[in-house]
Amino acid sequence: MASKQKKMTPQQKNYQTLQQKHELKRPVLKNCIKAFLVGGIICMIGQAVSYFYIYYFNFTEQSVGNPTVATMVFFSMLLTGFGVYDHIGQFAGAGSAVPVTGFGNSVISAAIEHRTEGFVLGVGGNMFKLAGSVILFGVFSAFVVALIKTLLVMWGVL
Amino acid sequence: MKAAYHLIVSVSLLLLTACSQNQPVKESQLALMKTTNPTPLSTERKNNSDRVEDIKRDVSSLPELYDVAVIKGEKDTLVVYKVKHMHRFKMKTIEKNLNKKLEKNHPKENFTVSSDYKIFLEAVRLNEGMKSGRLSHSKAEKRLEEIVKMTEDMK
Repeated sequence: MASKQKKMTPQQKNYQTLQQKHELKRPVLKNCIKAFLVGGIICMIGQAVSYFYIYYFNFTEQSVGNPTVATMVFFSMLLTGFGVYDHIGQFAGAGSAVPVTGFGNSVISAAIEHRTEGFVLGVGGNMFKLAGSVILFGVFSAFVVALIKTLLVMWGVL
Repeated sequence: MKAAYHLIVSVSLLLLTACSQNQPVKESQLALMKTTNPTPLSTERKNNSDRVEDIKRDVSSLPELYDVAVIKGEKDTLVVYKVKHMHRFKMKTIEKNLNKKLEKNHPKENFTVSSDYKIFLEAVRLNEGMKSGRLSHSKAEKRLEEIVKMTEDMK
């Protein structure tokens, strides 16, 4: 970095100071608070959904995770289709992308984006453009962890 | 457009709240959110409330727990508890310690111990059913066996 600055011409240096003067500062703290609040609200809705399944169906605390995740992904897919999740995403940033609802959003937004290219090559081919890597990483890491656990159980460590 | 939106919101609020007035709130409805501390009960015909209360006192004495339900059946005794938030990292150790303590103090009983919210909710519902007289001794025993089976399925 230092050597780069040495090589700069006086004009370039002047430009850089001018650019730094006019550069808009990112409101990092404000963004963090927004993300925290919206992410927290999404998680609270998830908790309410899991309590709903515990109250009215035969799901235990251990098994309630799967239907809750499926429901939350479904909600976010619907909201993306209706164009609501985009606004939430613009407001909350990572707060709406990090929870599992961001997964549903990435699937449906890619599908909508490529709809004009046809159902097979457009929607089908691009639907998992973003979410595919998440699924692959999840499946592969689960496989590795399960393999390690099986070996540890076989060797009598666990 | 705005008027239609307000109308929809107010009508849905009215519909949602209208039917819930003057209805008694059951303890089990809020069992997952607040401390209920249900009285320990037995599904057996003979009166052994002292023994059941003794078990509950033993379980409640652990500082990590805050809400305990005990239901004694003919074969099994169900002990369900909630763990304080900051102690939830040590769930396994707490369960182990509790099992040890119960086996030491009550060697004749066959305990089923759980910290699952669903089991807790079902125990509170069973307790309510028995208190209100809606469930007979045999029906309560059958329901208790079902809950115990649900606990075993989780392992």
